[in-house]
Amino acid sequence: MKAKISLILPIISVLVLLLLMPLVLKNYHLNILTEIIIFALYAVSYNLLLGYAGLLSFGHAMFFGLAAFVTGIAIIHLKGIGMITAIFLGVFSAFLAGVVIGSLLLRHKGSYFALLTLAFNALFYAVATKWHSVTGGDDGLNVPRPELNVIFAKIPVETVPQFYYFTLIVLGIVILFVWFFTRTAMGKTVLLMRENEERMKFIGYSTNLSRLILFIFTGTLAGLAGAFYTLHFRFVSISAISVEMTTVVLLMTFVGGTRTFWGPILGVFVYIILQNYLSDITDRWPLFMGLIFVFMVLFIPGGLSGFIMDMKERVAKKREVALEGNQL
Amino acid sequence: MTAYLEIRDVHKDFSGLQVLTGINLAIREGERHALIGPNGAGKTTLFNIISGKYRPSSGSIIFRGQEIAGKPPHVINRIGMARSFQITNVFHELTVFENVMAGVRSRAGLRYNFFRRPEANSYLVQKVEDILKNVGLLDVKDIPASALSYGQQRALELGIALSTEPEIILLDEPTAGMTREETEQAIKLIDRVTKGRTLIIIEHDMDVVFSLADIISVLHYGTIIASDVPEKIRTDQRVKDAYLGEG
Repeated sequence: MKAKISLILPIISVLVLLLLMPLVLKNYHLNILTEIIIFALYAVSYNLLLGYAGLLSFGHAMFFGLAAFVTGIAIIHLKGIGMITAIFLGVFSAFLAGVVIGSLLLRHKGSYFALLTLAFNALFYAVATKWHSVTGGDDGLNVPRPELNVIFAKIPVETVPQFYYFTLIVLGIVILFVWFFTRTAMGKTVLLMRENEERMKFIGYSTNLSRLILFIFTGTLAGLAGAFYTLHFRFVSISAISVEMTTVVLLMTFVGGTRTFWGPILGVFVYIILQNYLSDITDRWPLFMGLIFVFMVLFIPGGLSGFIMDMKERVAKKREVALEGNQL
Repeated sequence: MTAYLEIRDVHKDFSGLQVLTGINLAIREGERHALIGPNGAGKTTLFNIISGKYRPSSGSIIFRGQEIAGKPPHVINRIGMARSFQITNVFHELTVFENVMAGVRSRAGLRYNFFRRPEANSYLVQKVEDILKNVGLLDVKDIPASALSYGQQRALELGIALSTEPEIILLDEPTAGMTREETEQAIKLIDRVTKGRTLIIIEHDMDVVFSLADIISVLHYGTIIASDVPEKIRTDQRVKDAYLGEG
């Protein structure tokens, strides 16, 4: 019971804090926070592959970008489309891509897996670049934000705080579900894949099926993040589906640390804040971001969450030692 | 009487190297069958083929009336077979409890479920704890497998093999690397936990083999040169020449 309270308390406090943010923050910062929530889902889905299953993918942006484009293109071409339908189409396209690409990749692991995901991502990127009439190519697409109708009620999502709340509630619930997922049977099966693929076969698990399910699931989640990305920025361009968009999520996840569920969320927060701050003061911000990451990889390979956990452990140990000392 | 597990004329060659050259073996239900033979005789290869890790080059394996030769390991496991490994093969960073739970929930069909938490199922938790108690690891259930001593890891290896409630269990040198005392303990443990199951065991320790097995098969250069009760094996001239040596 105690463990449950210590788990749920921080989640509730963070949620309450996030719900109050529109009262405190100006639109500029609220926009950044919306972006952070979108990328948090993207990074959490990526970490299911990297941290939980031990699969390094260089192709996560294909799901993110595909859904971002499908959502945008649907809004532009299907007159009168609602927001929910647009999101659904985007997410469904990512799901389908997960099924097809997952089936082709499921026998590969390690560097083969990484390179194949990179190749697929490059393929998607090439299509998006060349298919100018549909995707807008380098120019991108301006995407108006459609109406959000839930049953018969029209929910306003035009202003920054309104869209923030919409994003927070929908993606917040999904992120919480992903957290729950890590504790379910399938979530634990993902850990078996990381720990010992050979052994799990001999206790009744199909590693191919496990990998396929995980690939579809993480792709679909990334797709949901991608759909919100288009809606948030009211714009989508080929950068959404570029390999860079994969390396960004890899960096965010790495900065936050792969060993905890919340690590990547922290990583997204730090990454986006840092990026905004640095780009305000210098045009050469990518250089400084780069230096910070090199420093992190060299000195805190466990990421920020790994660092925090280490500190916690040290404090706990010191306390133990102090207690023992007192008893003596 | 038909055999429970029947291996018919199984061959295996690795790119030209003949490792198994026609294995025929019939194992009855409830039998304790030991597989002995010099290093390189093909014992582990035979295990790998029976358990589905490798496909045989030719031949057939019938288990509970089904052809299992060439089927993938997870399918064979679900029919009722489990195995342990010669080199400890556990989920290192997971706790001892989680290691055994992996098999217990697999057996219960909770493999890919997105909504149910295995730890919330008291029936499964009880099963895991029963197995851990049985193999003597209940006290260390919450520590990662990598932190166990060697002997404990071997016990966990056995625990994982038992976790899917197999009818037949294949143990590949379960006492490898153990001291005399540890071996004696391990054999008692194996004897106890495999009661009511069919057992095939690869073992080098002849005391173990002769005390545990109902039937002993001797593998030599990829073929079975003798398969009989321990007393007969002890006096078999071919076995003496090939393996046991003149006592």
